[in-house]
Amino acid sequence: MADWSDYRNEDDEEEQEEGEEPTGEYKSTGRDSLVFLVDASKEMFVKGEDGEPSNFDMTMQCVRSVYTSKIISSDRDLVALVFYGTKQSKNPRNSFKNVYVYHDLDSPGARRVQEIDNLKGDKGSQLAAETMGSGETSLGDALWCCSNLYSDIKLRLSHKRLMIFTCRDNPHGGDRTRDRQACTKADDLKETGVVIDLMHLTKPGGFDVSLFFCDIISPPEDESELGLQSEPCGKLEELQKRVRAREMPKRAMSRITLSLGDMNVAAGVYVLARTATKPPAVRLYRDNNEPVRTKTRLFHTQNGSVLLPSDTKRAQVYGNKQIVMEKDEVDEMKKFENPGLVLIGFKPMDCLKLHHHIRPALFVYPEEDQITGSSCVFTALLQKCSERNVFALCKFTARRNTPPRFVALVPQREVLDSQLQAAPPGFHAIFLPYADDIRTLDVHECPRASDEQVDKMKEIVHKLRFKYRSDAFENPVLQQHYRNLEALALDMMAPEAIEDFTMPKVKMIDERLGPLVQEFKDLVYPADYNPDGKPSAKRKPAEAGGGVDKKPKVEISEEELRAHVAKGTLGKLTVPVLKDACKQFGVGIQRYKEKSERNKEINNIRKREKNVNFATEEQLRVHRIVYRLRCAS
Amino acid sequence: MARASKSAVVLCVDVGLSMGNSPFGEEAPFQQAKKIIQKFIQRQVFSESKNELGIVLFGTDDTKNPLAQDDQYQNICIHRHLMMADFELLEDVEHNIQSGGQHADWLDALVVCMDLLQKETMGKKYEKLNIAVLTDLNTPACADQLDIIIGNLKKAGITLQFFLPFPVDADEGGAADGDRPGPRHPPHSGKGLSREQKQGLEMVRQVMTSLDEEDGLDEVHVFSDAVEKLSIFKRIERRPMAWPCQLTMGSSLSIRIIGYKAVCEEKIKKTWSVVDAESHQKDDVKKDTVYCLNDDNETEVQKDDVIQGFRYGSDIVPFSKVDQEQMKYKSDGKCFAVLGFTKQELVYRHHFMGQQVLKVFAAKDDEHAAVALSALIHALDSLKMVAIVRYAYDRRSNPQVGAAFPCVKDKYECLVYVQLPYMEDLRQYMFPSLENNKKFVPSEAQLSAVDNLISSMMLVEEDEDGVMEDIFKVNKIPNPQFQRLFQCLHHRGLNPDKPLPPMEPWLKQMLDRPQAVSARCHAPLQEMKKLFTLKEVVQKKGQKTSADVFGNSTEEPDAKKFKMDEGEKFSLAETSEGNITSVGSVNPAENFCTLVQKKTVPFDQACKQLTHRMEQLLGNRSTDYYMKTITCIQAFREQSIKESNADLFNSYMQSLKDSVPDKNLQEFWDLLVADSITLISKDDVDSSTVSKQEAKQFLTFEEKEEMAAAPSHDDAGDVDDLLDMM
Repeated sequence: MADWSDYRNEDDEEEQEEGEEPTGEYKSTGRDSLVFLVDASKEMFVKGEDGEPSNFDMTMQCVRSVYTSKIISSDRDLVALVFYGTKQSKNPRNSFKNVYVYHDLDSPGARRVQEIDNLKGDKGSQLAAETMGSGETSLGDALWCCSNLYSDIKLRLSHKRLMIFTCRDNPHGGDRTRDRQACTKADDLKETGVVIDLMHLTKPGGFDVSLFFCDIISPPEDESELGLQSEPCGKLEELQKRVRAREMPKRAMSRITLSLGDMNVAAGVYVLARTATKPPAVRLYRDNNEPVRTKTRLFHTQNGSVLLPSDTKRAQVYGNKQIVMEKDEVDEMKKFENPGLVLIGFKPMDCLKLHHHIRPALFVYPEEDQITGSSCVFTALLQKCSERNVFALCKFTARRNTPPRFVALVPQREVLDSQLQAAPPGFHAIFLPYADDIRTLDVHECPRASDEQVDKMKEIVHKLRFKYRSDAFENPVLQQHYRNLEALALDMMAPEAIEDFTMPKVKMIDERLGPLVQEFKDLVYPADYNPDGKPSAKRKPAEAGGGVDKKPKVEISEEELRAHVAKGTLGKLTVPVLKDACKQFGVGIQRYKEKSERNKEINNIRKREKNVNFATEEQLRVHRIVYRLRCAS
Repeated sequence: MARASKSAVVLCVDVGLSMGNSPFGEEAPFQQAKKIIQKFIQRQVFSESKNELGIVLFGTDDTKNPLAQDDQYQNICIHRHLMMADFELLEDVEHNIQSGGQHADWLDALVVCMDLLQKETMGKKYEKLNIAVLTDLNTPACADQLDIIIGNLKKAGITLQFFLPFPVDADEGGAADGDRPGPRHPPHSGKGLSREQKQGLEMVRQVMTSLDEEDGLDEVHVFSDAVEKLSIFKRIERRPMAWPCQLTMGSSLSIRIIGYKAVCEEKIKKTWSVVDAESHQKDDVKKDTVYCLNDDNETEVQKDDVIQGFRYGSDIVPFSKVDQEQMKYKSDGKCFAVLGFTKQELVYRHHFMGQQVLKVFAAKDDEHAAVALSALIHALDSLKMVAIVRYAYDRRSNPQVGAAFPCVKDKYECLVYVQLPYMEDLRQYMFPSLENNKKFVPSEAQLSAVDNLISSMMLVEEDEDGVMEDIFKVNKIPNPQFQRLFQCLHHRGLNPDKPLPPMEPWLKQMLDRPQAVSARCHAPLQEMKKLFTLKEVVQKKGQKTSADVFGNSTEEPDAKKFKMDEGEKFSLAETSEGNITSVGSVNPAENFCTLVQKKTVPFDQACKQLTHRMEQLLGNRSTDYYMKTITCIQAFREQSIKESNADLFNSYMQSLKDSVPDKNLQEFWDLLVADSITLISKDDVDSSTVSKQEAKQFLTFEEKEEMAAAPSHDDAGDVDDLLDMM
């Protein structure tokens, strides 16, 4: 049914996949907002040992990567950048001193990214000193200012986050009034739903959170110790990881129940990996580059009236038959069960075949808020499935009016990597294929390699081994697209070149392998073998029986031909056979030069043979030849 | 891909006397066989397959076949010649295939089928030729010609399948049948096979093993799961297209390979067209697309003046298709290049991306490639490593990074390729710990209950030979969506006026837990229920009543209070029945309107009550309440205009505005501004003391400096423009 052309990724954005996929869009009604509150005191600009970047520099790099990742993930999130402890002040109505709002809450764009770039490196520090400088600190004022940033926004905000970057654990130098003021403001913010995080940076002598910041930050969202990492971030990578882990609030794709018999447990279904695509194009008015709105209507071609959904039905045609249904009947046909997971049973892990893959997996985690006690059941299941190395086979209905698919719930125990969570606890829902999804292949036996050949290949494998990491490869197509847009947005001469991580490092591979390649080739390929050339014509031994591919050449006798003419079954013969027949009986089959003459012939054919099918070129040819044969006979 | 490759199948159906007998009140084999072929034809019709189908019936009363001479080949009819399946055939099979009253030799019927196939496929190209014989073997068959028949089948390359009401080994050791694990096979009721049947079975086995020594018997199926297993369909299914390429390692090592799509999510290709409800004509319906600007007038814009662009964060960048094509990432063409090798355990199953799996073999007829690839496969297999590969189907498709795993089986070996995620595809979420959380730690008893549950629900069992058998193979279940669709299409095609049929019970049953397992797990489940306390948290989100929000208010008449306690939603219909005597807190806007319209209380009293409610609402800082308040204000404004009383409204609005900074109602005010609700000016009500200009300006708060700095494309804007936009 399917063929290769389906495989190629769609490059035009017109057709989006029907909403069948479980990896659907997040439907959030508000925008997420993130305010970066960065300490601009002199301490932040101190360079690290061995010329390592300063805390300020690291922070700027981090912020920049958040800006670009937000752009790429097409989030409509709002981001702001505010500095405190500055000499100059810049904020709405300048009500606050020593607070510099570099960027107010808005979706990041190309210009803003450029502005952050201006703050990076030595030049950046210089620019910062010139524009902002370092002065007194009042965190309370800074927090108040941030609070205003949120309230100044007309849009509906859902998730609100504030990240403080500083290397000073006692910003007011012991001034209790200011400390208290800051705490009050922080409480106010927290009350309005803002989550305050601290990204503490290295400070000589160690950063002591208990001095002041412990009262500012939000308590961890969960009972576990994840909320507070006691060690400050020393490296950019660490900082980026921590920021990344928090900048995107997690949302469940859906909330469903997992039924174990008649016992129901609540779970949330999450997407941990999903193909990122280019965002859809928008239509703009040529004259002013403003987006235009698209309105579509259905109307009746005969009388021009507008058709409402109730005036239409749905139809499909099979052969000559049209089958008509109502729109909601079409939906009803897809309904099997209510959304949810139904436990069928358990199977040992080796029943899960690697090659039975049809869709990216989902992640299932209990929803204690919906049904209390769910987490306990989940934890017990997690532990036992893991111990016994089994997976749970479930029937999964993602949404209403969606047919079920079977999933294997594979247990995942929490994995910590130096206090950061490398893998969350829960179950991975791996989709299993139906019989229709499995293609039958004709396989044939092949010669096997000898031990010597295998050993040589093992040496090659060893030389090229590396530690694979899932986040190591960037999508070159997406990156190029965004560089292109960036160049156009900033009026650059040419887009920045991308580094294509998907290309093999041929030179390095050749160097590492050295003579091994030739040694291997000597073992498996004869001297004159060229993989680029055509395969050596290997003659198949003539087989006594079987061989579906070779059909005996059919030569048609005059009798048979006449019989066909009489029966009217000439059309069933193939073009080569008919051509031979024409040759045999001296019937000319030259092509017409003029299209009109050809059309004349076709019309004649149509008149003579009423039920003739002209669907393909081949059939047309066949019929023309048939026609001539008939005329000749 | 213009290949019109097709297969030919002849269904050879026994409609003889014995097929029509129903043992022990079960469904007669004839009915079962008819269902099987109907389902098969249904699938051919609705998947618009190009395969050609013929039907030969034997055991019919009359004789209609080209081989029938004298007394030979009697009671065998060619019911349908080799043609594509269509709706007419479905109707035909439904009505015209009846149980016959005669007997015929199934081997004879087989020969008629072979003859039909050979004659009618002559000169044309077919991928596969298949004969499916459905019979109960209850007729004497003459084994003389058996070898010749087998020989001819082989020569012509015709594959054979048998469908019987009983399993192929039914004549061996009948006693164990009843306890046979595998609840999918109903214990066959034919305890005794007749002599003809036993003989027939022997011949079937002989034929099938001669055709295919190892797997021949796999193609002898039982009626009961013939449909479920898509057996006939799978036999003639089109094979995937080959993708030839070279596997490269560095610049000098390459191996010629061929890739095939081995697993791929199959989807319904045919879409529904929109047709007119009356005429059912597609041509009567046309879709009209119109583009318009985002201004108030919605000025229409010609399609030619519309160009393409993309969002880049907050910017919108025009980027035509032509430019896009030119500047986009270009790849070099198809490739399967090794980037390196890594340990298998570093590649996570839950990170597999894409919707398919490729199996990679050595190029056909290339021994050297085969050996080279085999060396790679075995090396990876023994080191437990995988190859990380750059894969591109062709020049136009996007490149992928994926993993090639070794796959070594008895009959063949290959690499299995799956796509892996790019960095942009991954989401780093943190979830609270489960096992480290004291609240969720399960007790020993609970753990043990789960353990018992798992044991009772294992879907893999050991049968009597010690072989592990999987009793719920998902990859043998046909996609129920297709089945249901075909069933409905079929039904609607034959009965255009009837509603859709209910789902077929076997379809539902196919998706359910096997009976045996359900029985076993009942007790452990009960145990679990006792040990784990689960409590549903009641959500009252949509239906906040005044009782919830304000506590019990003593102002409400008792009738209303009672209703609210039950948490019922109020509808306008209820409230307008004249019970309203004051502005309530659940639906203040509507109450107010009713009061004013019915003149139940003087206008200013109603206004006072309304404003009182609004103060209460504004005390809660949340968007929901703000929205409600705005609805009240709108109602207030409307009614005021109707009553020609602008003053009450205007003065309320003024005091509201004054209270905004004190009460921190900026967010609320912004919503108000967004809805452009302003004072009642002279234009609306003559007696108003407010001019239109004042009304316009009313909504702004001092000078908004930052407005000038905001949106990048409209830098020319200033305060007046902003007002106009309101």
